[in-house]
Amino acid sequence: MGAGAAFGLPLFPERLLASSTSNTTPKRIVFFMQNQGFDPDTCIPEGMKRSSSLATAKLPEPISALEPYKERLHIINGLHGLHTSPSHSAFFGALGGYRGSDGVPPSASTIDYELSKVLPPTLLPHLCIGMDSIENMTTKPTIATLSASGAGQPIFMHSNPNHLYQMLFGGISTGDIRRQHEARSNVLNQIEELAASKGRFLPTADQQRYGQFVEGFKEVNGLRDRLGTVADHLRKFAPPVDARYTNPEFETDWHDVLLELGISSLTSGITNTLTIGSGRGEIFGAWKGLGIEQQGHNLGHMEQPGNPIWIKIRQYNCRMLVRIMEALESVPEGSGTMMDHTLIVYTSNNADKQHTSGANWPVMLLGNFDGTFKTGCFTQLDGKRPLNSLYATILQAAGVSCDYFNMDEKLARKFDTGVGPIKELLV
Amino acid sequence: MIKVGVILGIALLCSFLSVARGESYTPGQKVLKDFDSFAQSFLANHCVDCHGESEPEGNLSLHDLGPVDEVNAAIWRSVWAQVTLKEMPPKEMDQPNVIERLQFSDGIVGELTHVMSDKGGFHDHLDPNKGNYVDHDLLFGSLPDGIKLIPTSSPARIWRLTPQEHITRLNELINTEPEYDPEKPGLRTHGDVVPTNHGGELKLYFGTDRIIKWQGGTVAYATAVKSLPAVLSSARAHGLENYPDFYTVNSAEATQILDVADDIIRYMAYGPLSIAQPYQITDDPNSIADKMKGDIRGLPTSLVYSTKIVRPLTPVYDLMQAEGVGDHLLRAAVDDLFEALTFRPPTNQESDDYLVIVKQSIEKLGKEEGATLGLSAIFLDRDALFRPELVETGQPDSFGRIMLQDWELGLAINHALRYIKPDEELRAAIIEGRMRTRDDVKREVVRMLADDSIRKPRILRFFRDYFDYDLGGYICKDSKALSETGVSNRGQSHYNAMFDATASTDRLIELILRDDKDVLRQLLTTDKVVATKDDNVYFGKRRSKAETAASVAAAKKAAEEMALIEAAELEAWLKANPGKEPPKPQKKKQETVNHNITEADLSGPDIYARVSRRSFGNGSMKPERILATVPESQRLGILTHPSWLVSHSDAMDNHAILRGRWIRERLLGGGIPDVPITVDAMLPDEPQNTLRERMRVTKETYCWTCHQKMDPLGLPFEMFNHAGLYRETELDKPVDTTGEIIDSGDPAIDGAVANAIEMIEKLAESKRVEQVFIRHAFRFWMGRNETLNDAPVLQNAYQAYKESGGSMNALLTSLLTSDAFLYRTKP
Repeated sequence: MGAGAAFGLPLFPERLLASSTSNTTPKRIVFFMQNQGFDPDTCIPEGMKRSSSLATAKLPEPISALEPYKERLHIINGLHGLHTSPSHSAFFGALGGYRGSDGVPPSASTIDYELSKVLPPTLLPHLCIGMDSIENMTTKPTIATLSASGAGQPIFMHSNPNHLYQMLFGGISTGDIRRQHEARSNVLNQIEELAASKGRFLPTADQQRYGQFVEGFKEVNGLRDRLGTVADHLRKFAPPVDARYTNPEFETDWHDVLLELGISSLTSGITNTLTIGSGRGEIFGAWKGLGIEQQGHNLGHMEQPGNPIWIKIRQYNCRMLVRIMEALESVPEGSGTMMDHTLIVYTSNNADKQHTSGANWPVMLLGNFDGTFKTGCFTQLDGKRPLNSLYATILQAAGVSCDYFNMDEKLARKFDTGVGPIKELLV
Repeated sequence: MIKVGVILGIALLCSFLSVARGESYTPGQKVLKDFDSFAQSFLANHCVDCHGESEPEGNLSLHDLGPVDEVNAAIWRSVWAQVTLKEMPPKEMDQPNVIERLQFSDGIVGELTHVMSDKGGFHDHLDPNKGNYVDHDLLFGSLPDGIKLIPTSSPARIWRLTPQEHITRLNELINTEPEYDPEKPGLRTHGDVVPTNHGGELKLYFGTDRIIKWQGGTVAYATAVKSLPAVLSSARAHGLENYPDFYTVNSAEATQILDVADDIIRYMAYGPLSIAQPYQITDDPNSIADKMKGDIRGLPTSLVYSTKIVRPLTPVYDLMQAEGVGDHLLRAAVDDLFEALTFRPPTNQESDDYLVIVKQSIEKLGKEEGATLGLSAIFLDRDALFRPELVETGQPDSFGRIMLQDWELGLAINHALRYIKPDEELRAAIIEGRMRTRDDVKREVVRMLADDSIRKPRILRFFRDYFDYDLGGYICKDSKALSETGVSNRGQSHYNAMFDATASTDRLIELILRDDKDVLRQLLTTDKVVATKDDNVYFGKRRSKAETAASVAAAKKAAEEMALIEAAELEAWLKANPGKEPPKPQKKKQETVNHNITEADLSGPDIYARVSRRSFGNGSMKPERILATVPESQRLGILTHPSWLVSHSDAMDNHAILRGRWIRERLLGGGIPDVPITVDAMLPDEPQNTLRERMRVTKETYCWTCHQKMDPLGLPFEMFNHAGLYRETELDKPVDTTGEIIDSGDPAIDGAVANAIEMIEKLAESKRVEQVFIRHAFRFWMGRNETLNDAPVLQNAYQAYKESGGSMNALLTSLLTSDAFLYRTKP
């Protein structure tokens, strides 16, 4: 347990509660990456060619679930990811803004990780969840394809909701999950003790370095303890454990409960950065629970616009987005709700379609991130600014000035006609 | 240049003669003087004339620098680099004597270390990239009076595993690699490192040795098969990547290792059944056709595993197979797993500790879940992630040094060559108390070096670190710029070719090591290449515009002539068969001719290179290679192979500065100070100009002081384009391949060169170049930079190398039996 989680520094439990008394605005961010591409025709209202308001437009069928949330929505067309060579999937390159491919290790950290570092600290700075076929989720419950904390440092995503529940809510769990939580806690405590005892007589220079190893266990065990101390608070947010966890009928049962766990980790304040990989960054995936019999690679070979299968998948995604928004809206924060301080970035790890050059990379934003992003509109860009510039924009909105994200000036000269944030996106 | 060398030599001699009378200096021992007043007088005598209050050189005033503190630390750091490298005072000025300079340098390090101790520390002098800051002539020449060396040793320490070591160690638990086959010595075998996959990612694969069928193509296989990426991080790409003090294991890594452990233990216990359905295990895939219906590509259920058990069956397997949980089974599983992960048997205390953890977990969760969780704890034992050299039991000698012994010594020797645990002979020697003396070490080292079946991946790792030829596949190329080089820019083909090229260069180095004669010279000047088919392109020549046009015209003419012939044949047929319908012409296979290049005609005997297990279906890397001869007068040695050239290039072009820096540091032993933060290190964006022309900006006085050490050494490689193809023109003009070796430290090789080949020929003849190679080997195997106290070790190693006719084995034996390797000092 703990894969996919980068553990933060020990903090007081108060930090966990997204408190309105905090001096720092508790912003949060969600990346939702659907695989196989995001065709612009499945999200841009019919006939809309230029940047304009969405107020009077009708959203296309695949994203119709967002119709009531139009005033929070910002559809962006015309970013590019040519340099990420997406083809089948840009893998780490989608969130990193660099070349990626199957089997290619991350060449730098990804935007979700970078944001998790600059947003106000939480107990668990970053959580990644991945949705796939049930076979893949059970045999490979953790996988790393999308997020990274640095070059060659992949971050694992969780796909087994039982494991994830245990990590987040083990302290308030019952039954089997409780037993596993206790056994695991016992092992981790003893590992910490053994690790500490073997560090006592090290040379001074090594003590500091080895100390970080021991400290790591203290963090893990400390996180568990701290989650334990705020059990009452967590109970309010923890989703109920039902048969979908242990006996899923379809993979979508696990997708749903994984989403619930992701949402709970946001609403309870455990984390403020959530990355969701629907299709886990690869070119397969299954949604049999939606009545889609075909699975995997063939889904990517289909044209998405007007395709009943893709309408179902996209609608399912959008219902998930709505669930995230509704949940965040239900939690008061400051003078408004959590959603007021949140940005949801919905896109694909593979630009606009499966076999793509990455020349167009459509994105939908939901929320205004504490009033920094424009909403209720469609923005058509000229295809000259890379995905990296969107990430630089978000970093700027999070308070970090950034000319180019993961792009040196030489590459930027070729792939970015602008510098810094995309002004069209910001208020 | 020769004149300058002579003058320098005389200057050096004079300074030796003027060593402060009666004063002695021992490297590594604290300067007894009051550093502040010593430093102030040094600055006043040697620096302030130019770096004074008014109009100071380089806009740097040192007259009121003051004692080292956290505010002026950056300036002192720069002063340290300039004075240590003998860049300052300038050569035409009066020089401090040798001891004075060494004391000043040591003093700054001491002060910076102290001042920065709670601000991230000061580590410059410990960085392998600054190892050359120690004066080469003092290491290999005679020392001036007054310098007194003490017997050397290395610090007691723990050394974290590299990602490669860790993955290879874990791989031993779940995969059985083939035994060494003397008939096919290049094939990957037991004891070799787990190589990176088709995309350059280091991963641990589950069950690939049993997969006999899968549905779908390359990506479908890659998705369906279970694999885990390396968890431990490695932050360095260039140069020596792994000193003991570089890395630790952070909390995210530790928790991920616990997850990995769970997967591994389950596979050890149940094999493919831990990741597959029982019906998927059959030798007759047709018999389960009914279950493999429909599109299941990319799913784990699309794989068929053979019934033959190939993974190692260990006490973990016995434990999980047995009924119940008998103590002896539990302890056997704990002890065996402990040794597999730490390479030594547990102490009684360790065995008991883990037994308790496993028992408690079983009590809580039942046998299967509990044993898996409890045993996972061993994967996080200190010694499963760090290798200790702590000399906790030995007695110090009169210099405070303690010799490694028993397990620590045995594992140090093992680690010097291997990634897997000690073989039976070494293990027996350790246990029987025959791992305590220098002769013991020599016996084992000589034995292991002589036995090809004992794979020694760490030697190859040294050459990767030293040459940096393994980075080509990670250099992201601009698609258009890549296409202009003449190679294919389709999909991943270039990157795949580069990963293949790395494996090929690995193999070429192994072949040179097998002969073990004049190893460095051979590496620099071999005319051999281990090649794939793609290498006919990569070792080919990029045609000039005129040549390309001529090739296109010739092809067009040939096609026209062929059309005429075919028309004439048709006419003749119709004449001979009046009124009949002529047979339809056979569909011709479209020939894809790359007019941009003249392919090399590489041919030679079949050999093999070590590549990863199947990772990408039919698109996985293949081991088949040939041993060919490079095109004459176009290539010489591995610095002219695309693997090295592309590793030292960037997205758009060659990287002459990086190449020059490599030659300066790794062959000539020179040091380059860090780029000052005031420098905007960008070449102008002028697509109409060559790289050489764009590099004119480095010739400004401020830049040239450093760039003259690099640029003239890197520009001779302009005879190749940035995909590594030979070329005679650049931007439609004859390419300028000239360069110069300036102030190398070996006057015999200084001077202008016409191209890279002439430069390499000169370098390969230099004694200094050989000595610098020895210095790098020392750093790699000792895990630290050399100090003056290591001079005898370096000189002995060089002598061993020379006297043996350039034998790597002799060099290694010398280094591994040296005091620097055998002795540790506690701080």
